[in-house]
Amino acid sequence: MQIDLKNSHQGYFLPMSISVDIMFMSGVEDGRLVSLSSENGDGISGDAGWAVRFGRKEDNDIWLRYDSFASRYHARLYFRGQRWWLEDCDSKNGTFLELDDDDEARVSGSIPIELGQLFRVGRTWFRIQDGIAE
Amino acid sequence: MSDVTLKDIQINARQESARMQHYFIGVEHLFIGMLKARESLAASIVERHGLTTDYVIDEIRRRTGKGTTQRMFAGAPYTPRADMVMGIANDLMLEHGLSEITEQELLEAILEENDSIPIRALHSLGITTDEARNVLLNPTPSTLPTPTSPTVQIEFGQQYSPDTPLRDEHYALLRRLFYGNGRIRIEAQLQGGYTSALILVVTAFGSDNLENAPVVVKIDKSDTILDEAQRYEQIIKESLPPLTARLEDFPVTIESSDLAGLKYTFVTDDSGMVRDMRAAAQDQSADAFSQWIYADLYQRFGKTWWMQRRPYRFQVWTEYDWLLPPLVTLEYGATDDPTALVIKDPVRRSRIKKADYGASIAIEEFSIHRINADRGSIVLSSGRGTEAAKRAYKIEVRGMNLEKDAHFRGELVERISGRLWKTRDEILQMAIAELAPDFDLTTPVIPGLVHGAYLPNPLILYDDLLDRYVNGSLSRIHGDLHLGNILVGHHQAAFLIDFAQARTGHTLFDWACLEVSLLDAYVMPAYGQDWDDAREAVHEINGSAGAAFTTIPDELKPIFSIRNIVRENLEQAGNWSEYFIALAFCALRASTWETMSAAGRRGAFYLSASAMGEVITTSRPSGQDTISSDGTEVDLPRNR
Repeated sequence: MQIDLKNSHQGYFLPMSISVDIMFMSGVEDGRLVSLSSENGDGISGDAGWAVRFGRKEDNDIWLRYDSFASRYHARLYFRGQRWWLEDCDSKNGTFLELDDDDEARVSGSIPIELGQLFRVGRTWFRIQDGIAE
Repeated sequence: MSDVTLKDIQINARQESARMQHYFIGVEHLFIGMLKARESLAASIVERHGLTTDYVIDEIRRRTGKGTTQRMFAGAPYTPRADMVMGIANDLMLEHGLSEITEQELLEAILEENDSIPIRALHSLGITTDEARNVLLNPTPSTLPTPTSPTVQIEFGQQYSPDTPLRDEHYALLRRLFYGNGRIRIEAQLQGGYTSALILVVTAFGSDNLENAPVVVKIDKSDTILDEAQRYEQIIKESLPPLTARLEDFPVTIESSDLAGLKYTFVTDDSGMVRDMRAAAQDQSADAFSQWIYADLYQRFGKTWWMQRRPYRFQVWTEYDWLLPPLVTLEYGATDDPTALVIKDPVRRSRIKKADYGASIAIEEFSIHRINADRGSIVLSSGRGTEAAKRAYKIEVRGMNLEKDAHFRGELVERISGRLWKTRDEILQMAIAELAPDFDLTTPVIPGLVHGAYLPNPLILYDDLLDRYVNGSLSRIHGDLHLGNILVGHHQAAFLIDFAQARTGHTLFDWACLEVSLLDAYVMPAYGQDWDDAREAVHEINGSAGAAFTTIPDELKPIFSIRNIVRENLEQAGNWSEYFIALAFCALRASTWETMSAAGRRGAFYLSASAMGEVITTSRPSGQDTISSDGTEVDLPRNR
């Protein structure tokens, strides 16, 4: 990935390597852990930072092959400004974030997401188990 | 030890997976497989918390949703999590020196893994993993007291004079609720609301044969009771004044019927008899009663409820459509008719109004609100937005084979179709026609009190009002505030019961409901049964709004008190249309209630008409402020 030195004086470093562990929390792949890392060439780097892609097409980092409610390119999870963000990519059935009171909020645009917080892409629930930037 | 074998659980799990069109086996299917097995440990966990297995199964199903008919893999594979759980169960089996996994090991494994969908469902229902584990350690319940006698003897007090006698299932439920007491005495049956609930005041006797303080027992359909207990825990408990009726213990269900019961402890000294507000209204002066509504009911509960309001601009249908009969009733029938009228979000009511009997209609992306297994029908609703909006646009689908298709409350239905059987307008027209109106129900206006005066016809105007915007406020509300749900204890303290409808909603909704209840129980008896009596009562309610308290008739004083409370809670001072919208829809609903007196229904219909009249006149664009802000009528002549 590219290092943007211009930003380093603003108080944070763009990390050299980012990795994230994402677990399926429902559906036929419930319990499966997917480990992705920028060093292994997973994800994409762009203006928004490093991002992993969720969708029904097989070139996504998280391939939702069994979820007919998922769009082809459904959502992205990216790391920027020292935190994780969840972004809906104009999906048909929406991306949702679980709230404390057991309700869920539909994501429009990008919203910050904490480690351990559940989110839903199509019908499938996920959770960020761990994320490391160094 | 559990007698349930792994094989039984797996068979049930596969059936559940197929019915939900999942075609894989996850921990959720295994857990439901256990809940469905007879006398399972899993069932005892949920039952010890006063929940039924069906209730928990629906909660799990809501979390997974139903799959599609399209199968994407062969066989019925185990999910990675289910595989992991089976691995843990296998280790436990070896530790226990067994040759086969039983329910005990599987359940222990699910609790140890502690991250699956059924675990999340249990947590949201208030059952922690530790509590569940305790049931495994102590399969015999230790929480129940040792019964002092094998059965609970049931007696009746002198005040008890029921409308209908108790049924066997009521007796069975009462014995379960008072398990451990040798004897109970049913003191009174309180006037229920407009629901099917049975509300009793019961005194139990301890083993020493001493009287305990009386409690209020509510018996209703088990889904309703279990929802009420959940709402009490999540919404109500923290917001009650210290001395008030509280929910005691978990709800209780019985296997032999779909009824459940719960107990409200009644904090009063034991000389105080329990009365509801309907009875209390009769034995105090109108002045005292009116003062009581303001000071004891409103101010006592208001601090944590209505007074904590925040601005809320809403479209009327989002808060009030759910009060109305189903938008359409359909006769179920699968159809691929490309010309079918599709009802989906956002709902266009005008197109539905034009549909003819037998027209082909498809509903898309609605949620299941209720399942009437005995009638083979389901009720769908919008399922989106605020709590009231989720219940909006009810659609009943009849003639379904509920044995064949698995449906559950909260299920999101992608598409269901049928033929139009009845519209909302027809149901409303029929309900008012039962009251033998002395006017035409199909014209835009109906006669007012005097010759030549008219009010809008609620059956015509309601539909336009649903699309209006209201600048109102939002607060915690009771959701079903009527005279039967307000009990009066020692020192005239107000006790609210029945929290099945409690939610965050339009602040003025509760007061509109209570006004309609007062109209039925307090106002109409003083006027009479007929349509002319209804017109006169409503006319005088409006006329008294600007008057001095001492000059208005006694039977209208409590309503005057309600309007004072409303005045303090209007979002925009003096803008009464916020209240009249609420009143118009609450009164329209009451006018269709079969359980309300004919006099009350006629009064409610005219109250609705008059409230709608206020809404359209106060928002007339040309209007200089000629309308008095206290809601005095202007279109009707003052003298007669």
